[in-house]
Amino acid sequence: MKGQLRSELLKQRSTRTNLALAVGMLGLVLFVELVHGVGLAAEYVDSRTEQLEAFGRGEFLGVLFAGLLGALSITSEIRHGTIRPTFLVTPRRGRVVAAKVGVSMLAGAGFGLVASGSAAGIGAVVLGVRGIDVQVDGGDYALLVAGGAAAAALWAAIGVGIGAVVRNQVPTVVGISAWLLFVEGVLAGDALDLGASRFAPGAAAEALSGQDPGTLLAPALGAVLLALYAAAAAAAGWLATTRRDVV
Amino acid sequence: MTTDGIDARRRRDPGPRPLPALREHSPGDPVVSVRSLTKRYGGLTAVDDLSFSLYAGTITGFLGPNGAGKTTTLRLLLGLADPASGEALVFGRRYEELDQPARRVGAVLESNDFHPGRSGEDHLRALALAGALPPARVGQVLELVELGTAASRRVQTYSLGMRQRLGLAAALLGDPDLLVLDEPANGLDPAGVHWLRTFLRRFAAAGGTVLVSSHVLAEVAQTVDEVLIIDRGRLVARARLDELADRGQTLEDTYLQLTTRGAS
Repeated sequence: MKGQLRSELLKQRSTRTNLALAVGMLGLVLFVELVHGVGLAAEYVDSRTEQLEAFGRGEFLGVLFAGLLGALSITSEIRHGTIRPTFLVTPRRGRVVAAKVGVSMLAGAGFGLVASGSAAGIGAVVLGVRGIDVQVDGGDYALLVAGGAAAAALWAAIGVGIGAVVRNQVPTVVGISAWLLFVEGVLAGDALDLGASRFAPGAAAEALSGQDPGTLLAPALGAVLLALYAAAAAAAGWLATTRRDVV
Repeated sequence: MTTDGIDARRRRDPGPRPLPALREHSPGDPVVSVRSLTKRYGGLTAVDDLSFSLYAGTITGFLGPNGAGKTTTLRLLLGLADPASGEALVFGRRYEELDQPARRVGAVLESNDFHPGRSGEDHLRALALAGALPPARVGQVLELVELGTAASRRVQTYSLGMRQRLGLAAALLGDPDLLVLDEPANGLDPAGVHWLRTFLRRFAAAGGTVLVSSHVLAEVAQTVDEVLIIDRGRLVARARLDELADRGQTLEDTYLQLTTRGAS
């Protein structure tokens, strides 16, 4: 299994895909924190909840890009055909899925750490420059960053699972993006809010990093729920990969 | 081009191999054993009650029209697809039951199964890691297929012939006893075709077994010992090339007679 993990790690390091994802993610972190920090009137960013929400955009971007990273780890192999030599060397396909989940969670945690940390850092600096008091305290920062890393790691596992089930790269990427960027927003909208939207996997990730304690689950509950989503997605990906013929 | 590495490799005493349990076959056991193999996709029967065996030291050409079921048969043999019924065994086991399959079987199914942005060397290193194969094999097989100078370049800069050779290098990483190749001569220039033919001959002469599918009958006639011809998923002929020659038949005549019924 160690060789399997090292193989998957090398696959992720040996193309520019993850680097491009990281650059895109950091660009968006910078963009959103500058727009929020500079563009919003002081009265909209002076409370702790508002600042947590602004800094929490890092968690969201970490989760989105970690999910894509996990999904691409398998759909890219299917798209380029490397899945065939991969499974010829490791015909016990479940081991390949397990190694992809493990390595993607590691890379995803890195993405989450960088996105959450840089968002909070940039956000605090921008507020400081404007002379707005930062209400977010040390515990909040710790939860934002550690929770953001954990949420992104778990979303990377969800991405691997979805990618393994869907297999086709474009629908996988569009599906994950549409879910996080649009569907969860609609579910959480006032008109439709039946209280269930906080149990969705994107909202659970936000809860895990300590955002919006009024409407979201408690961080620990969010962590447990998101871990269950990740386990279910990984199990579905494992089943789909071991039971179906290789394309 | 050189194929000396193969001779040196094959001459050595096999010694205590890492997988002694797999070496218990007597010389007469088939390397490949396909029995009543059947595969259906929806209503289409792609492989229909197919049976054949291959023995060590032989090169077998696997022939048939497009859609005859050649690639499906190879996929079933290599554990990438599950049969509806029957079985396909390599060294007496299902492929996925082999402990380190890369050390027994090397296969190339498509000529372009690479990530375009990854170097040829990293492609092989990732496979060697997953297969617990010695890292030094990566450099050895790259030299063997004469890709040493292109090793660190990304595959998107490779010609089709270079990709074919990189695929072959991947198949040879584990120093296997059986090679399964789907259309390996596509995209090779004449020197490359000659090199491949010499390579396969030496591989078989040293006790290796080769199953190679092809459409290029003239090339097959120069390379293989015997042919399996399938049509619509069924085996329609099995013949040694020297027997065909003794009967005064050419491979092309035999092939066209057996596979164009209904089309003519």
